[in-house]
Formats: sequence, structure tokens, C-alpha cells
Amino acid sequence: MFDLEKSIVEWRKQMLAAGIKSPVPLEELEIHLREEIERQVRLGMSLRDAFETASGKMGRPRELKTEFKKISVPVEIRFVKLADIACGVVGLFFLLWTAYVALFIHEANWASRAFGLLAVAATILIWRHAGRFLPAIRQPKVRAAAGLAACVVGFGGTLMFIRQVLPGLFIVSAPADFSVNRLLVSFVVAWTAMAILGAIAFRLDEAAGKTESQHV
Amino acid sequence: MIRKELVAASAEPLILSLLAKGESYGYAIIQEVKARSGGKLQWTDGMLYPVLHRMERRGLIKSRWGESETGRKRKYYSLKKDGKLAMSRHHEQWLLVHGVLSGLRKEQYV
Repeated sequence: MFDLEKSIVEWRKQMLAAGIKSPVPLEELEIHLREEIERQVRLGMSLRDAFETASGKMGRPRELKTEFKKISVPVEIRFVKLADIACGVVGLFFLLWTAYVALFIHEANWASRAFGLLAVAATILIWRHAGRFLPAIRQPKVRAAAGLAACVVGFGGTLMFIRQVLPGLFIVSAPADFSVNRLLVSFVVAWTAMAILGAIAFRLDEAAGKTESQHV
Repeated sequence: MIRKELVAASAEPLILSLLAKGESYGYAIIQEVKARSGGKLQWTDGMLYPVLHRMERRGLIKSRWGESETGRKRKYYSLKKDGKLAMSRHHEQWLLVHGVLSGLRKEQYV
């Protein structure tokens, strides 16, 4: 007597042995297999034949594994993604700070405020649309390296600004003639450069993906 | 039967175009493509899922787990904004290829 459940368990084992270990694709494949078996049975096939036909149509486990492997994210790209998130957190902090100074610090003059708000708007636009203008780097490793380099330069620039430029502003501008305008303007200049680097790191993947979809 | 390379190349535009009609799931997508092509366009069933996952990763489509009328678990896919743009680009390109081929074919019979 043919046992469908046992056969499906065996089929799952073959898939696992071939390397399809992630639960989501395996579950999806099994649901598909069951639907096809049901359809074949409705068409008059025996349960055994329906299983054989349906599992055959699913494809060879090794071929499926190769296809799924193409979409798994390599370690270096995962690392870049983490760096991207770190860039994003730092970026958000700078963005909020710039917006806060531009809007709520009363000592800032109107020209500095406008400059600050313009930088905030430019940053948001760059981060949102950079993918359209960046070149498509096809090799994932080169793309990861470029993203990582942008992150490193961005972090380096941020640290340099905090350690070198920022204390200088406070020292040169002693409390008596400390200028919020000068602080805001220098912050915005440094920040916008870092925002561009961050946008590069974030959007390289998107740029490559979009160009891929243009090539059928 | 249609050549393997053409089947592979047409997978993404077909999936995008089917999902433009509304959300759907893997099995239904395969059945619809088969029906619409009169059985001439056939994918290896399992190979659809890596394509769907890749498209999801590229932000063209999104997915959600749901249930069928009979209570069976299903993963439904639907189109995202970038998917609509990609679909338009695919249509333009395929129409261009079709136009060139049709033009050349007409010339042969003049």
C-alpha cells in the first residue's frame, strides 16, 4: 500500500540532503508538490503515479539547490549590509541634529537655517534616489568592496570631524563669541559629504538590481 | 515546445505581468502560464521559486503567508512599485523584439 506521507517525508529528506536547508523554500516546494498531487489524482491518476509525476516535475534536488544558492547572500555582502545599517544610524543622528539646529536654535541666522534645511532635503533626496544615478557594478564582490570602502571613508570622515574640526570650533570660538552659525555651516558641509558616501554604500545593490532587470 | 533559454528569459516578465492582475501563489502562476500558452511554455515547477525569491530580494515583489479556501497554507506574492516599473521596461523591450521580428518576417513574404 502506497503511503503518501511517508513518500513526502522521503522527498523532503532528499531535498535536505541536496542542501535546501532553509525552511521557507522547502515548505513552499512541499505545498506546491501536494497541490500538484491533488490535481493529478483529480484527473484520475493513482496516488503513487501522482506522487511520481509531481515530484519529477519539481526538478532535481541538486539543480534546485544551485538555483536557490544564487539568491543567498554571501558573507561579505552581509557584512556590508551591517555596515550599511551602522551608516544609516549615524546618518539619522546627523540628519536630526542638523534639522534641530536649523529649526530650533534661535542663535542661528536665517541664511544658516536655510542652508541647514537645504542640506537635510538634499540628503533625503540623495539617499532616496541615488540608485538611479549610481553605476551598476555587476560583480557582487566588487560591489561589496565599493560599498564597504564608502562606509569606511564615511566613518573616518565622521570621526575626523568629531575629533579634529568640532573641538577646534569650540576653542577658536570661545564661549563669548561662539557662533552657532559657524558650527551649523561646517557641520552641514561635513555631513553632506558623508551622506553622499552613505548613499553610495546603501544604493549600489539597488543600482545593480535595476540595471539587471533592464537586461532581459 | 519553446526553447529553454527563451522560457528562462520570459519568466520574470510573465510573473510580473501575472501579478499585475492581483496577488497570486507559485502553483497558480505555473498553471496560468501553462494554460495561457496552451501548454507550450512549461517551467520545471520547482525552478519558479528561486525566481520568485530573487525578484522579492530585488524589491520587485513582496510576499505574505495566507490560507486557501480549504485552509491550506500558501505564500502569496504581489507586485511592488519597482516591480511595476520593471514590468513596463520588460514590455517595451519585448515589444521591440517582436516588432523587429514581425517586420523582418513581413519583408520575407513581400
